Amino acid sequence: MAEARDEGSAVSEPLDLVRLLLDEVVCVKLRGDRELKGRLHAYDSHCNLVLGDVEETIYVVDEEDDEETVSKKSEMLFVRGDSVVLISPHARTF
Amino acid sequence: MSFFGFDTTGPGRHNPAAAGFSQAHNPFAGLSNREDEGDALEFEETYDGLGDQLEETGDAFNDDTFGDTAGLDSAPVGKDFDFFGSTAKVANAFEEEHVRFARQQPAVKAAPPAPQPGPSHVMLQHSAFQSTSYGYAPQPTAHKPVRTGYEKYSNEPVAELQVDAALWGVAPKKPPQPSPAAAPAAQPVPAAASRKVLSLEEVEAQMRAQAKKAAQHATPSPAPQPQAPPPMHYDQAYEYQQHAQAHLPQQADHLRHDQAFAPGHAQQHVTILQRPHANQVPSPQPPTQPSGHRQQPSGSMQPTKILQNPNRLSGDAARIGVRQHPTPTMPAAHPAHPVHRQQNSFSRQPQIITHPSQLAQLSEEEKAAYLEQEAKRAKRNHKIFLMSRDNGIMTPQDKSFVTRIQLQQLVSATGNPNEHGTDESLAEDFYYQVHSQIQGSQRQHPNQPLNNFAQTYLFQTGSRQGGMRRHHRGPENHVQRMEQQVQRAVEAAKNKPKNKQLVIEGSLGKISFSNAKTPKPLLNIKRAENTSEANRPGSAHKHVHHGGDRKSELRSIERIYSTLMQMEDHDRNMPPPPSNDADNEAIQKFVTWNSEAQLLNNKLWESLRVHDHQDNGHVHPFIALMSYTKGMKAMQRITRHLTHEQRTTILTLIVVNLDSLEVVRNAQVTPDATQLNAAMRENVELFSVAVMSTLFTILNELDLDLVAGVLGLVCTRNVDVIGKSRIGASMLTMILSRAEIIKHGGGGSEQAWRAWDMTHTQFFDLIEPTLPHMFPGPVTAGDDIYVWQLLAALGIGASPDQQQRLVLAVKDRVMDTVALSKTLPADMAAQRLQNVNLFMRSIGLDVELLQ
Amino acid sequence: MENGAVTQGEGKDPSGFLSEIIGNPVTVKLNSGVIYKGELQSVDGYMNIALEKTEEYVNGAKRRTYGDAFVRGNNVMYISAD
Repeated sequence: MAEARDEGSAVSEPLDLVRLLLDEVVCVKLRGDRELKGRLHAYDSHCNLVLGDVEETIYVVDEEDDEETVSKKSEMLFVRGDSVVLISPHARTF
Repeated sequence: MSFFGFDTTGPGRHNPAAAGFSQAHNPFAGLSNREDEGDALEFEETYDGLGDQLEETGDAFNDDTFGDTAGLDSAPVGKDFDFFGSTAKVANAFEEEHVRFARQQPAVKAAPPAPQPGPSHVMLQHSAFQSTSYGYAPQPTAHKPVRTGYEKYSNEPVAELQVDAALWGVAPKKPPQPSPAAAPAAQPVPAAASRKVLSLEEVEAQMRAQAKKAAQHATPSPAPQPQAPPPMHYDQAYEYQQHAQAHLPQQADHLRHDQAFAPGHAQQHVTILQRPHANQVPSPQPPTQPSGHRQQPSGSMQPTKILQNPNRLSGDAARIGVRQHPTPTMPAAHPAHPVHRQQNSFSRQPQIITHPSQLAQLSEEEKAAYLEQEAKRAKRNHKIFLMSRDNGIMTPQDKSFVTRIQLQQLVSATGNPNEHGTDESLAEDFYYQVHSQIQGSQRQHPNQPLNNFAQTYLFQTGSRQGGMRRHHRGPENHVQRMEQQVQRAVEAAKNKPKNKQLVIEGSLGKISFSNAKTPKPLLNIKRAENTSEANRPGSAHKHVHHGGDRKSELRSIERIYSTLMQMEDHDRNMPPPPSNDADNEAIQKFVTWNSEAQLLNNKLWESLRVHDHQDNGHVHPFIALMSYTKGMKAMQRITRHLTHEQRTTILTLIVVNLDSLEVVRNAQVTPDATQLNAAMRENVELFSVAVMSTLFTILNELDLDLVAGVLGLVCTRNVDVIGKSRIGASMLTMILSRAEIIKHGGGGSEQAWRAWDMTHTQFFDLIEPTLPHMFPGPVTAGDDIYVWQLLAALGIGASPDQQQRLVLAVKDRVMDTVALSKTLPADMAAQRLQNVNLFMRSIGLDVELLQ
Repeated sequence: MENGAVTQGEGKDPSGFLSEIIGNPVTVKLNSGVIYKGELQSVDGYMNIALEKTEEYVNGAKRRTYGDAFVRGNNVMYISAD
């Protein structure tokens, strides 16, 4: 059992962290001041992602330097990996 | 190209392809023939009769003499003499004339043995020569090639040629001075001179001579020997011979040599020319005098080439002796020979015994000496010939140089990345390579091994070449060697990729090329897999052993899924059960499969962490897994691969921790209207669907005693918390219902029922305070059917006393619901009332009674 | 393994350096200028980074926190051990 524990305990590589987030709600920062929040259904080594129940937030800086946000919702999204900057588990709200 | 019309393929010829033969002429052409072949002819004309008078020793005064001759010409030659322009024109005109003449009087050729310098004579010579050459072709005299060898070798072997000349010292350095009376005889000198030609002065002299000729053919020009006509053409030489200029071939050669030295390289060509002459002369003889030829030669084949001269001599002698006149069958050119010989004998005998055509006349000793020298010379010639084969193209050194450069480039192009330090730089330094070769093969680098490639290949090559070159072995092996080297280079190139397949080490570590499936990693991160977590300086894993560590829970889930997939895969590969006991193989397969399945089961069971100890203040690891959607989703798949005992254990574990379940603990109902957040509602829903159904299945496998035990476990927990959650309430309903089902089925021992009753009573007491508070939100919220279901389950198994307590506990909710239903649409009202009735009927009542 | 000899020499090799600082607090700067501070969980050959207890700084101001954060390697400018 100890062996099994060790085997599963270490994040041997960063993408393992992403694997742990499978079927979890994740927050994904994208290039261009965009963020996605949704349930991670799938990913690959390029960080291509499939997200479900996604809320996309776009941070827009207008002329007065006021930051506005635009939100979009999608039932399912495929995210191409090259636009991904950061993936984190979404903070639990309950 | 057979300039002479010789059949180069004739037997005894020396490698006709060697080009030496044909090349022989070229040098001449280059030197003297710039203007035209005609120049040579004309020149000779000018010489006729006059050349003999000149003294060879008087070369130094050639200029003076020349100047005189120039003065004689009708057209004075100034210092601004035009070498090319007008002279060339005149020369052309002359040549044309010659040609025409020759054609018109082919027969005449033989007739004029007289050394008349007249143009006609020249022409005759010309034609005669050609004819003789043609006639010669078939003849086996193979000596010509040797001479060609000489010619080729013109560049390097100069020194040797000179030496030869020295050897020949026997022969008078200067051709015998023919008596002025014998004009023709005197010509040998000029002939020799002409062959040498080519110092600037000489060339100039030739030009002038030509100019003179143009002025008057018949008039013998006093042109000095140095002015010698462009020797290039055999025609001319032939003429001389025919004129009985008494230039014995050998003598002529000697003369040439001697003279040649003085003027320079160009002279060598001249010497070469002479040989052809000699050949031609003897050629006619062959049929009749073959014996003489062979006897004289020293015996080896090489000598034969060398022996050309001797042949000539012998030929001449034979001719002289055997036939004084050309046989009628002989080509037109033949007639000339007799004359030639006669002349030769004439002029030479007086001079030096060892020479020429008069060999026959020499004493035995003299003959022997002569032959010996001849042999030496022949050997030398042959050697030179061999060495000079490729002259004018590339020297062996050049080749090896080029080879090395090419190989060097190959090496550097495929540079060995394994190499380090000075060796590498040295190995790729061309100049170092050259230097090391110059230093010699003996140079060793024990402490500085070159890279494999260079070691086995380049360096070796260098040393080998050096050695071979010294032994004059180079040229033949170059191609072969090059092939070998290229082969090695190719092999080396082939081997290299295997060492470093698409992987290059960079400063950032291992860099490998990527493909679509695997993006290229930039770093080769060393995995400290063996490093225990305790050794890690950071805190990344310090929570690993704590049940509450979210990441470890997630990892456990991933492990569970991985194991599940393995097991499911394993199931798909289940071998068919053995048909009979005799099928050992099948049995063995099945046993193996089973054992593997067992291993996987163990793995799964471990990953479920059911038996992990529960840290204080933390939820049991397994229960924690049930707080993740993917953990809940896994339940059905998990139980499918578990044994009955394992499933029961899981059920027990869940029940024991019922109030710890997130979907229970964090999903408590509240009297106000606040709803659970969406995520929790989803989780609750998911748990109901994914876990409860599974647990229901498990529970339905249990006997009453176990069900009582489960209920007893519930009593050990916080029943209030359990009861105030939808999941908890549902679980209670499920347990109670199972007992009722068993009761209706007549199952359960009396003892078990007693135990059950006791437990149930205990439980009822525990749950009673919670009963009024189990409803989710106000009555208007609805969605409280699961509470009515629990109440019904309680009511069915309740004693009359308990039933009354139940009614009291939920009376308000019942009344509110009935009241509310009157304000609701009929269908909704009916639904709500129906829900209430679940409970009412369980205790023998009906909502109808309340309305 | 190819770097084995080099990594012995105490962080002279990037891979060795990264291996050594795993578990330590680090600062990761992205090409966009955004800085993440957190504990380095792991790094891979693509320079993908997993951070723990991560704080995000934009223009020097702390903007938010993440429990865990996976940073895609192509965005990474540098990783420094705090």
